[in-house]
Amino acid sequence: MTSFFTNKFNKSMLIALIILFMVDVYIIVTNTPMIPQQHWAQKIFYLHVPVAWTAFLSYFFVMVFGIMYLVKKDYRWDRLGQSAAEIGTLFTALVLTTGPIWAKPIWGKPWIWEPRLTTTLILFLVYIGYFMLREFGGHPERVARYAAILGIIAFVDVPIIFLSVKFWTPEIQSHPQVEMAQQPGGILGPFFFSLALFTINWLMMLRFRSHTLNIKQKLLSDHV
Amino acid sequence: MLVNLIKKELLIELRSKQILVSMAAFGLSVVLIFAFSFSVSQKILETFAPGLFWVLILFTSVLGLHRLFDYEKEFDAFSLVIGAPVDRGTIYISKWISGWIYLVVAEIIIIPLFVLFLQLRWTQPILPGVGILFLGNSGIMAIGALISGLAMRARMSEVLLPVLLFPLVTPVLIAVTKATTAYLNAQPFVLWQFWVLILASFTVIFGLLGYLLFDHVTEE
Repeated sequence: MTSFFTNKFNKSMLIALIILFMVDVYIIVTNTPMIPQQHWAQKIFYLHVPVAWTAFLSYFFVMVFGIMYLVKKDYRWDRLGQSAAEIGTLFTALVLTTGPIWAKPIWGKPWIWEPRLTTTLILFLVYIGYFMLREFGGHPERVARYAAILGIIAFVDVPIIFLSVKFWTPEIQSHPQVEMAQQPGGILGPFFFSLALFTINWLMMLRFRSHTLNIKQKLLSDHV
Repeated sequence: MLVNLIKKELLIELRSKQILVSMAAFGLSVVLIFAFSFSVSQKILETFAPGLFWVLILFTSVLGLHRLFDYEKEFDAFSLVIGAPVDRGTIYISKWISGWIYLVVAEIIIIPLFVLFLQLRWTQPILPGVGILFLGNSGIMAIGALISGLAMRARMSEVLLPVLLFPLVTPVLIAVTKATTAYLNAQPFVLWQFWVLILASFTVIFGLLGYLLFDHVTEE
């Protein structure tokens, strides 16, 4: 039962990530082209899109870990699922913060019922319920099972929510990602660097959180 | 076996009348509140009516969904149900269908009074409206029966059920409101068939998911 960062690999990854994130911010500020009409507001997308990617990646893995738990009945999958759900919800909150920051100068108002943003908000609400279920579910085995099922239901619901919101407000179809891909060179390089960095960061966060949950579980079982 | 399970649900309800009475009474109280709260022109009210109606039905369905499993907590009756040699998925289907029947019965009481008290005009042929109603109920109950099964044994299940259900059921609410609005405005079906497709897809997907996952919901 050792601290996560006593492991040399983990410690060096942490230091590397801190340095690389500083490099990422430096590149975004100084070394990316300024987009006409959007100016500085566009820069947030080097963070906003990777953050959104991380959130959806987390929720996808909540579903995968949920299926694995239901099949294997091994609590390690449940703890991985809980870790992914916590990280996903943290990053979803960040998406819901960075989205309006970009939207205010571009659309003139902080919130528009854009399908991706709306789907993210709905998922955020579902996961508030997910954590309530974890809290009030009762027996740990039952909580693990129910959380796995809810993780599966939530992810299956995502495309249906997206489609229905998309056609609910057909006049709002601004997809910044598409716009970004159409922009001249100099954008995609830093964007993919940021995306890769966030993905590695997600992996480290997942390992860290599941490690602490494993320690917690061990302490609890030793205590009993 | 499915028929027997549905019969069991309906028989219990017929004797106790807990679900239907509470759903109908709640629904009517909300209709009254709507009638008193909106002093707007008839045209505005008619624009809002489909949305108001489906919000009302969603809230009403939560009462029924909660009782759908809750009454079997008494004397741990649910353990006896899942102890019977019945496929667990079939139990889910029976809850789904019986919940759907309760909702239809409650709607038969609520809809005429909703139209009457809000002084709405309903000039469209009735059959497409019934179709939308049936599909909307199926969508709400498909996911509702599954979520109700999840929330049943948790503490604060009555709070947990709407918190979990409302975000997940958003596609149904959007689709059914859009379809109802289009139907009441006599738009051609081709313009709103997409919403019917969303409703049908949602019902099939979550019906199948519920059938597959209910085994894990009821594990002991």
